[in-house]
Amino acid sequence: MTNAQLKDDLLAGRPQFWDRLAQSTRDASQFNELLMLSSLRKKAHLRGLARPGIDGDPLRVALLGGYSLYPLSELLDHLCDAGRFPCRWFLGDFDNYMAEIMDDGGALYEFAPRVVVLMPSEHRCKYSGKLTDPRETQRAEAAQVVESLLGLARRLHEKTGAEVIMTNYFLPARHDLGPYRSRTLGSIWSFRKWVNLELGLGAPPYLHLCDLEFLAYRHGGILARDDRAWFESKQPCSSTLLPHVARELAAIISNLRRPMKKVLVLDLDNTLWGGVVADDGLEGIEIGDTSPRGEAFKAFQKSIRLLKQRGVLLAVCSKNDHDKAAAPFEKHPEMVLRMEDFVSFKSNWEPKSDNLHQMALDLNLGLDSFVFIDDNPAEIDIVRQFAPEVSTILLGPDPSGYVAQLEDCRLFEPRTITVEDADRTLQYQSEEKRRALSSGVTDMEAYLASLAMVATISPFSAVDAPRLSQLINKSNQFNLTTRRRTEADIHALIAAPAWACFSIRLKDQFGDHGLISILIGEKMDDRLRIDTWLMSCRVLKRQVEEVALNELARLAIALGCARLEGIYLPTPKNEMVRDFYTGMGFTLVRESTEAREFELDLKSFQPRKTHIKIATP
Amino acid sequence: MTQSEVIEKLQGIFDDIFLEPVKLTPALSAKEVPEWDSLLHISLIVAVEKEFGIRFRVGEVEATHNVGEFADLIARRMGEP
Repeated sequence: MTNAQLKDDLLAGRPQFWDRLAQSTRDASQFNELLMLSSLRKKAHLRGLARPGIDGDPLRVALLGGYSLYPLSELLDHLCDAGRFPCRWFLGDFDNYMAEIMDDGGALYEFAPRVVVLMPSEHRCKYSGKLTDPRETQRAEAAQVVESLLGLARRLHEKTGAEVIMTNYFLPARHDLGPYRSRTLGSIWSFRKWVNLELGLGAPPYLHLCDLEFLAYRHGGILARDDRAWFESKQPCSSTLLPHVARELAAIISNLRRPMKKVLVLDLDNTLWGGVVADDGLEGIEIGDTSPRGEAFKAFQKSIRLLKQRGVLLAVCSKNDHDKAAAPFEKHPEMVLRMEDFVSFKSNWEPKSDNLHQMALDLNLGLDSFVFIDDNPAEIDIVRQFAPEVSTILLGPDPSGYVAQLEDCRLFEPRTITVEDADRTLQYQSEEKRRALSSGVTDMEAYLASLAMVATISPFSAVDAPRLSQLINKSNQFNLTTRRRTEADIHALIAAPAWACFSIRLKDQFGDHGLISILIGEKMDDRLRIDTWLMSCRVLKRQVEEVALNELARLAIALGCARLEGIYLPTPKNEMVRDFYTGMGFTLVRESTEAREFELDLKSFQPRKTHIKIATP
Repeated sequence: MTQSEVIEKLQGIFDDIFLEPVKLTPALSAKEVPEWDSLLHISLIVAVEKEFGIRFRVGEVEATHNVGEFADLIARRMGEP
C-alpha cells in the first residue's frame, strides 16, 4: 500500500518522500486519501524533511466565503504544496466575507493577498419575491445579485491588485417544483442558472470563475450535496465532491502563473486510425463512418482539429516509412486531418524521444510545451524517460474513449482565446517558407530588406493585457529575467508613472506575427532599469532586438535617464540570451551565479539602423 | 457486533490513519491523543462510515465522549437495515 511506503519514507527521512507524495496526490481521488496525504506532508515539514528545488516566496492566497472553509483549505494547501507550488493562506471566518472585504484597515488587506478565492454564500442567491412575479422584476433582481458579486470582485482587485477567483452557485438537485421550475425565473433552479451565466459572461479579466455548477453536474447533482455536512459543519458540498472543487481551485491558482502547452504530437497507427497502415494498406485501416471503430477514430480526429482551431500546433511522430505514413493524409477520403494541419511530420525509425527533441529545436519551442499522445505504453515510457519535460497521454484500449481522454487531459485550457492563437499554424508554416528563402539569400542584409518588415510599437494598454500576460507567462528562451505577470499586474503597470512599458508587433511579406516582444523598464533616479525584455523566438535576429533598444533608449532619454541597466537571470531555458546585452553594446558591470548585470551609457547612444519600418499604432 | 469487536476493527482504521501507533481502549478520548486533531477526525469519520457501511445521523458523533461510546454508536447504526 502506498501510504505504508510513504510513512516508511517519512520515518526514515528519505527525500524521495516528496516525489512519491506528489505522485500519490495526483492519483488520489478520494477525500480521505488526500487528507491523509496532507497530514503526512505536514508531518514531513514539521520534521524538517528537506525538499530540494523549491524556491521563491510562497504565493499569498486569501480564502473567503459563506461556508466553513475547512477542510477545503487543507485540501487546497495540500494540492498546491505537493504540486510544488507553495502558498501562504489567509482564511476568512465562516460567512464573514462581506465584512472582511469592506473593512479597509482589516486583516485581509494587511495580508496583501496576490490571489483571493471567494465562495459567496448560496443562501444569498435566491429570488425574494413570488414565483409568479413579472419576469422583468425577477430578472432585475438576478442582475442585482450579479452586479453585487462583480462589485465585490472589483473592490478586492482594486484594493489589492490581486487576481480574484470566485465560485458560482450549485443548482438544487431535488424535484421540488417539478417541471414548473423552468417556467419561472423565481425558482432557485432558474434564478441561479441565470446568475451563473451572467456572472461568467460579465467577468472582467482579473476575475476567474470556479464553476461549481459544472463540477456538480459532472459529479452528479445528488452526490454533490450533503445536508448533514452543512448542518454539522457548514460545508459547501459533499466530501466526495470537495476534492474536485479543491483541484479546480488549485489548477486555476497555479495556471495563473504557468505557461500553457503549445504542441500536440500524435502517433498514427491505432491512434489516428485503427490498424497498421504499413501492414493493412490504405484500404485496410479503420477510419470513417463505415464502422463503429472507424467512427470513433474519426471523432478523435475531429476533436484534435478543434484543438488546432484553438491555436494548438499539431505534429506527427510515428514509427513508419514516411510515404506510407503520409498516404492516408493525402489520399484517404475519410480522414479529417490533412498534411497541412501539421507543423512537423516525423515518420521514421528513430526513437520517439529523439524525434521530439529534434522537433523542439526545429520549432524553437521548449520541450515542456509539448504533449505526446500514443496508444503504445512502450513509446510513452521511452518519452517519459528520455524527454521527461514532455507531458504524455497514454490512450486506453477502446478508441471510443479517446475523445474523452483528450478533453479531460487539462493541458490545453485557454484563459482567453486570442485571435493570434488561431493564426499560429499559419505563422509557423510561413516561418518554414522564410527559412527556405533565407537559405537562398546569402546576403543577410538583402534578405532582411526583402522581408519588408513593419513593426508597431504600442505602450501597454488594457485591451492588450490578455495577450501581454499570455506572452509574459509562456516565453522561456528569449527572456532575460523570466518574471511572470498576471493581467492584474499588467493593469497595475499601465497606471504606474515610473514604468516605461511597451510591446512590439511585427508583420512581413509572409504574414502577421502578432505581438512578439515585450519590454518593461523602471526609472530609478537617472537610470532606466530593464525589468523585462522578452521576445518570441520566431522572430530572432530579425532586428526586432534593435527596434526594441532604440525605443528603450528614446523613452529613457525622454524620462531624463542617462543610462540603461540590464540584468540577466539564468534559468534552465534562457541560456541563449546569456550574452545578449553585450551583443547589444552594453558593458558587463557585475556577475554572480544568480545574475549578470549590464549598463549602457546613453550619452553617446546612436539609434541602430534596421530594415524594419516603424508604423504608428 | 459487540463493543470490543467494533473496537478491534476500529484499531485497524486508526493504524492506517495515524502515524504514531494509538492503542484503543473504551475510555480513550481524542483529547488524550496529540495527533488526533480536527483533520484526522474528519478522515476518521469518513473512513469509519465507509468501512462499517453505515451513515451517522446529524450531530450524533459529536455527542460521543470516548472510544467506547463511539463504538456503541457504530454497533447501533450497524443494526439498522
